[in-house]
Amino acid sequence: MIHTEHLIKDFGAFRAVDDINLDIGKGEIFGFLGANGAGKTTAIRMIIGLVLPTSGQIIVDGLDISKGSEKVKHKIGYMSQKFSLYPDLKAIENLEFYAGIYQIPFRQALKNIQPIIEQFGLQDILKNRTEDLPMGYKQRLSLVAALVHDPPLVFLDEPTSGVDPQARREFWQVINDLAYAGKSVIVSTHFMDEAEYCHRVIIMQDGREVALGNPAELKAAHSSATMQELFLKVLGEDNAKPE
Amino acid sequence: MISLKVIGSFIKKEFRQIMRSREMLIVLFALPAVQLLVMGFAVTNEVKNLNLSFLDYDRSATSRALIQSFDSTDRFRIVPVSNAAKPEELISAWKASVVIVIPPGFGADYGQGRQSNLQVIVDGIDGNTASVANSFVAGVVGDFHRKRMQETMHRSPIPRLNTQVELLSSMTFNPDLRSSLNTIPGIIAILVTVTSMMLSAISLVKEKELGTLEQLLVTPVKKAELMAGKLIPYLIITLVQLQVAIVLAGLIFRIELAGSYGLLLLFSMIYLFTTLGLGILISTRVASQQQAMFFSWFIMVIIILLSGFFVPVQNMPRGIRWISFFNPLSHYMTVLREIVIKGSGITQLMKELWILGGSGVLIFGLSVLSFRKRV
Repeated sequence: MIHTEHLIKDFGAFRAVDDINLDIGKGEIFGFLGANGAGKTTAIRMIIGLVLPTSGQIIVDGLDISKGSEKVKHKIGYMSQKFSLYPDLKAIENLEFYAGIYQIPFRQALKNIQPIIEQFGLQDILKNRTEDLPMGYKQRLSLVAALVHDPPLVFLDEPTSGVDPQARREFWQVINDLAYAGKSVIVSTHFMDEAEYCHRVIIMQDGREVALGNPAELKAAHSSATMQELFLKVLGEDNAKPE
Repeated sequence: MISLKVIGSFIKKEFRQIMRSREMLIVLFALPAVQLLVMGFAVTNEVKNLNLSFLDYDRSATSRALIQSFDSTDRFRIVPVSNAAKPEELISAWKASVVIVIPPGFGADYGQGRQSNLQVIVDGIDGNTASVANSFVAGVVGDFHRKRMQETMHRSPIPRLNTQVELLSSMTFNPDLRSSLNTIPGIIAILVTVTSMMLSAISLVKEKELGTLEQLLVTPVKKAELMAGKLIPYLIITLVQLQVAIVLAGLIFRIELAGSYGLLLLFSMIYLFTTLGLGILISTRVASQQQAMFFSWFIMVIIILLSGFFVPVQNMPRGIRWISFFNPLSHYMTVLREIVIKGSGITQLMKELWILGGSGVLIFGLSVLSFRKRV
């Protein structure tokens, strides 16, 4: 579904992403790991077409994103790191708006997301104003909003930061279900325990890839018991400050 | 392919947001009403109730009659002062803005048909008021003189040659010289400018601050849909506000629209392309709502000051007049005044139509170019 080649992004003299090569398949949960500023978000933002790469190629579902293709955007669901729904609209009005933007009848959109709404227990807060919701509900609502158009590709940029452990578990349950339904889910996180849920991860440092592969295989290769240990090992202890 | 459905979703969303915000509703509808009321009554060039003092060194029947004739108009309020006062001091102490000195022997000279002089000292700080006051004084003295002449002729009916030229002036379109007739269309033009520019200047940058713009840029929304979805609601709101202002102007200031309402609406819509475009241009270039406010105020103050609202454009220095020529508000204000007061038709307003149309295309075009669908 996603293919990148020699992906590079410079911000002035600063190289945020340095030579990233990826192949992400259908139904795969792919994790971007790394400390803050490692280049995870920039890499994701390039793949979804928010940021143009300095050089390199990105093919998403057969379309060249690095040339600024807009066609692929129907297939992308994106939940940004920063909460970005309209605070002064009701929860359901936010969903209605995004359904309208994707040109999907609202009834159809509701049908797409009904199972997730129930799974998240959002039925009762849909009439509430978005800004009045607790943080955990806001995050869940953001994910639901990114799914109104039933996209085959779902990008979640640190979806679980600021969410309690119980809610995090729910989140990952939903992510698993999405992948099971055949969607590719690309997640960035700095919670190492969450990396265990991914089918494959890339660990980034200073924009470069330092490790790429299946979590279990990576742990075995670096003889680490946990992802945390693996992370510290591959980064070198002094640079790694995962929260 | 631009989708009307997508634009419709935006319009619905914008209206929901605006209608739900009490502050926004106050800004949009209550403030304009207040502004119209306060400015409509306060911004006036009419000169009334000027403090006038006499230093009467003559104390004759003639001088008293002259003073009497000033008392009968609401232009002046006579402030009695002692004859020992100095005119300049009266003015600098804000006691009087006009002082008339009647020299000794005035009555005697006047009665015998000799040259008789009055000294008039006017507070010149506000040049406009001063010259109006001066002409009022001349008018009252002229009337006084004419009446006296008639009385003398009655008493000794010896026909004399009257070589004076009399001006028979009539003020067309505004016979009572009501200042509100001129200022209210100006205020309405300013209201329309402020509202549309503020709304659009904040629009994009607010979404940038909230992070919702980034979310939108990931969707297949087209630039044209996003801009139309933002601007159509603002266009509608501004036109509603214009409507409210016109109704209020009619109710409170008794200003009847002399010309065609459709024409006024047409010109307003053309003009709004310029102001909304300016707002969007600002919104695409700034990083925060605060900056957007700052820039739009900066631009608005300049275009309002140079619009001919406070100072007629023809009174400005030549260089500034050229800048005013490029000021869309100046032309829109002209259009509003022409349509509201004179009832001018489109044939009389072709020049303004071209200028406003051109500026709309230019500025709106620039704003479209400046908006890119990437962050």
